[in-house]
Amino acid sequence: MKPAPFDYYAPSTVEEACGLLAEAGGGATILAGGQTLMPLLALRMSQPFLLVDINRIAALKGISRSAGSTRIGPITRQNEAIADATLGSAQPLLVTAVKHVGHHQTRNRGTIGGSIALGEPAAELPATSVALGASVEVRSAKRGKRRIAAEELYLGPYATALEFDELVTDIHVPEWPTGTRWMFRELAQRPGDFALVGLSGAITVQDGKVSKAGLAWFGMGPTPIKARQAEAALLGQSLDRLDHAAIAELAVADTAPFDDHRATSEYRRTVGRRMFARALRETLEAKA
Amino acid sequence: MSKHQIHLDINGRAHDASVEGRLTLCDFLRGDAGYTGVHVGCEHGVCGACTVMLDGLAVRSCLMLAVQADGCSVTTVEGLCSGDGALHPVQQTLREEHGLQCGFCTPGVVMTLAALTQGEQKPSSETLINAMSGHICRCTGYQGIRRAALRLAGEALAPVEDHG
Amino acid sequence: MNQPEARTDRYIGKRQARSEDLRLLTGRGVYTDDVSLPGMLQVAFHRSPVARGLIRSIDTSAARELPGVFAVLTAQDLERYQPNMLSFFLAPPVVPVPLLAVDRVCYVGDPVAMVIAQDRYIAEDAAGLITVEYEEEAPVVTLDDARQGPLVHPGTESNVAAATGADELDPDLEELLNSAPHLEVIEMKHQRISQSPMEPRGVVAAPQGSGEMTVYLSCQGPQLAARWFSQAFDLPQTTFRVISKDVGGSFGLKGQPWREETAVVAAALILGRPLKWIEDRLENLTSANQAREQDMKLRVAFDLEGNLIASHADYGINNGAYPHGADSNIAVMMFLWAAHKLPAFNFSAKGWFSNTVGLGAYRGPWALESLAREVLLDRAARKLKIDPIELRRKTLITRADQPTMTPMGLALEDISPAECLEELLKKVDVAAFRIEQAEARKQGRYLGLGFATYIEPTAGTAGVIVLISESCHIRIEPTGKVSAVVSTHSQGHGTQTTMAQVIAERLGVPFEDVTVYEDDSSRGGYGSGAYGSRQAVAGGGACIRAADLMADKIRAIAAHVFEARPEDVFIRGGKVHILGAREQVYSLRDIADVAYAEPERLPEGMEAGLETQYRYCPPALTLTSAAHACVVEVDVDTGFVRILRWVSSEDVGNMINPAVVEGQVAGGLAQAIGQVLFEEVSYDARGNPTAVTYKDYMLPTIFDVPVFEYLHGASAPSQTEGGFRGVGEGGCIVGPPTLVNAIADALAPFGELKLEFPLTPPRLLELIEGRPMGRRHG
Repeated sequence: MKPAPFDYYAPSTVEEACGLLAEAGGGATILAGGQTLMPLLALRMSQPFLLVDINRIAALKGISRSAGSTRIGPITRQNEAIADATLGSAQPLLVTAVKHVGHHQTRNRGTIGGSIALGEPAAELPATSVALGASVEVRSAKRGKRRIAAEELYLGPYATALEFDELVTDIHVPEWPTGTRWMFRELAQRPGDFALVGLSGAITVQDGKVSKAGLAWFGMGPTPIKARQAEAALLGQSLDRLDHAAIAELAVADTAPFDDHRATSEYRRTVGRRMFARALRETLEAKA
Repeated sequence: MSKHQIHLDINGRAHDASVEGRLTLCDFLRGDAGYTGVHVGCEHGVCGACTVMLDGLAVRSCLMLAVQADGCSVTTVEGLCSGDGALHPVQQTLREEHGLQCGFCTPGVVMTLAALTQGEQKPSSETLINAMSGHICRCTGYQGIRRAALRLAGEALAPVEDHG
Repeated sequence: MNQPEARTDRYIGKRQARSEDLRLLTGRGVYTDDVSLPGMLQVAFHRSPVARGLIRSIDTSAARELPGVFAVLTAQDLERYQPNMLSFFLAPPVVPVPLLAVDRVCYVGDPVAMVIAQDRYIAEDAAGLITVEYEEEAPVVTLDDARQGPLVHPGTESNVAAATGADELDPDLEELLNSAPHLEVIEMKHQRISQSPMEPRGVVAAPQGSGEMTVYLSCQGPQLAARWFSQAFDLPQTTFRVISKDVGGSFGLKGQPWREETAVVAAALILGRPLKWIEDRLENLTSANQAREQDMKLRVAFDLEGNLIASHADYGINNGAYPHGADSNIAVMMFLWAAHKLPAFNFSAKGWFSNTVGLGAYRGPWALESLAREVLLDRAARKLKIDPIELRRKTLITRADQPTMTPMGLALEDISPAECLEELLKKVDVAAFRIEQAEARKQGRYLGLGFATYIEPTAGTAGVIVLISESCHIRIEPTGKVSAVVSTHSQGHGTQTTMAQVIAERLGVPFEDVTVYEDDSSRGGYGSGAYGSRQAVAGGGACIRAADLMADKIRAIAAHVFEARPEDVFIRGGKVHILGAREQVYSLRDIADVAYAEPERLPEGMEAGLETQYRYCPPALTLTSAAHACVVEVDVDTGFVRILRWVSSEDVGNMINPAVVEGQVAGGLAQAIGQVLFEEVSYDARGNPTAVTYKDYMLPTIFDVPVFEYLHGASAPSQTEGGFRGVGEGGCIVGPPTLVNAIADALAPFGELKLEFPLTPPRLLELIEGRPMGRRHG
């Protein structure tokens, strides 16, 4: 299982990287953590002419906060993110989600940006980005910068709105208000496996009522699925009058799960419904 | 196909080589550098047999390219023994707990445990056992690996019963 | 006889730390891929992407022109070295097995061409440049396809690869079954399993001139492999030497060389260069011979007290296109009711060809017998309203019932599954569990307790030429060190340590002074290596006898040279002690000095030197018995299974090294858990394998395997030299029914478990919800 031949280059600036991507006209692939790309290369399912290794670009590192938003450099290693004190206090849901990604060893190389940009439907970080209302800033040589909301980023399994010549330079995650409760559940047969069903969510409670909700599924469709109907149903509700089962039903209504090697769509809906209801109850019963 | 000059430290010695872009780190370590203690079990990052330390962190060497290790410090299982041949505490503990049978997954297991027990503070058994979920062993049923992990975390074990 | 006295002399029964660990823990093992020879080239195969079809053309021109490619070979090029692809038992195949596909392909992964290049990267590049035109045909994939579909191998009469038993139903047996007060029927489908050792297959074939071929092979026995190559190739002028130092697991896969390994040897003979082929994981999961794809309908007649009246089994096993040996797996039938009081039994067992990867051995190939029987007994117990343990007590043959003969002609003298069960029940409080289970159910939690008993044929030799004996050659060097060449072979078994323990104890020398070699067919004598849980019994027996001969010789020399009575001479701690008015102590080196350098001082007629050997023939069969229990909790919201406790109660006879014994049981149990809950090699309707990586072929992790408890209280020495019993395969045989019965017990309130494996969460949730959960793909 050896990769097919390719040229390799490790630029040191974003400009250089974008130039290479543009020049390659679609024949280049970005190498970040490599934890997903390397197996694809080994199986020859991916055969780029050029591998652009972005791990040496300093501008793609770092975690910082400003103006109610957290900026995460895309090549931040997953284990670095877990250990980062800034991120721990600003984005606890994201940190919880990262802890579920792969294994300790893969998190030493795997990156935040890599997972977000890949668009694996059963992955934790894309769904968490959608739930939190995150966005990515991307750059291309020909068209400059643009910002894509996570909600608009994912088009299908491993298919995103990123053009072939675009590089993610920043991940922006809005900071949620005080009084936000975090909800994260994942059902996988073994640690590190693709989730059979998962959900990631943030629910802000003020004066005993839900003032904001961001909820997204993973493993329940071709992309992360924003549970819009459930979010809408939660808004303005007071905690002591919530019908968890009914909201769970609405949450599942937005999903489009597959039948695949591991589970059927009916299994996912059945389990997802229960998982959501229980998670909602436990999250909202807990003190903030 | 591009070729690259790399310079890296392997098991405490400087190493210079010219490598193709696509050469994986595990193939480089085994072939060019001669460290056959790095084992290749799956080449897609699931089994963990190829685990080495890169700048002190446990990584799957089948999921890296050799060229990416330029300027880095790599430790393989061969680099764990002290000069006088005494086993590293991780190796010693695994031996005492009968944590291996065929030995193929073992270097990877050793490197993850060694990476996590490097610091002054003992890691928790939860940390070590969680990290062991990144290794597949087909022989032992993980019994000895689990006991070794608990001991390395400083936990006392129920003694293994001897039978008449 | 040399009697060890001091505790320090006892090694048999000791949890001796393994000598091989010193190299394996430090990365100094030598596995086949660690072997590198000057001028060595690497091989990659071009394989068929279709399960069945005619080969219309093969174009290798682009591949041959790629820089770095040395040669590209197809079946035509290997013709002059086409061997007879013998089974493990050295029997010829029932259909011809080509090394590379000739004019048709028979499974996805069928090797069509081989590329030889300067490295594996280039070899794979070149393999990708080969174009083959196929005329695709509809493949025969499943057992049902094979029963009804077209011939897999043109020219055969049917797709039956092997058949035993009787096609026609016996009217008397049918009468017993149909008139029974209670008839229990189960139908089960068992999924295909990949042995999946962590080290895949591998070979380095190094021709040395025209007469010698050294083959470094990842195998289960270098002696057997060398014999296999010699007989298969039938090249009287060529000596095959097989070297196999460290092997990363096998579990039956590497019991004999097969097509790719042998193609590499043939190519090396043709090209005159050392050639290496290392199977990658994709190949291992899709092209290495696999196991366990079976179905069975089992009918059992009971009376209302639970006594067995009669039984019939109708069984099929998928042999794939090119099995290692065509097999109807008669051992399933021999052991299905062997330990139970069952007066009447008949069966039909058939192996079927199909357009899939061929059948290979996997730890306890006949294991379905225990799964079917134990699951059926529990079901019958539930329906007859008899406690499942009481049912076993009623039906199992006890020590008091022996000696006896099974309906299939197996002699039973010292089996003890019933006694193992009683030992088990001392540690598993069933009554307390039932109370706990009832309480938990009120809270919506579903706990289950499952039991299984079984007997296992180990170290079997009867009628199998390759398994008759094992040998041990011991020599004491002029330095006084003890070295032994044993025909055992470890792929994790620890035989370098266990055989040394036996030799050290019988000889009276420290364990550290004994070195065991078992890696080279040019050394020592023939043996099969690892197979059928035989090594402790057969290898241990050979080591005992060879060590006793050596001890006798040393004592005879000492008595003669130092003018003592033989009964006053002991070897202890590596020293020769002569009792008398004044005790004399000599080193082994002192004796060796005489034996090698001063043979004139030896007793009259005694051969010089200190070298002994013994070829031990164990009894025809040595049976091991066990009873296991496990406790599970099934999460009825998700169908996930958590194993809370697992206890094994075994009669493994005398143990050489309890840590090794328990390690074998644990490994087998982990594989059982994998088989019941996670693992599946599956094919789609076109014969494409769908689990091609470890993302889809799921092996159990540390979180999936509990801490095992072991009881050896029921152990009794066997009739073998040493009193040992085999233990290698047992966990994989008794494990699955133990777990399945626990899950069935947990979910009994919801109904009967459907016997389709693996028992994935969606399958279990289907039972729990009482409604279909849909069909999985693949």
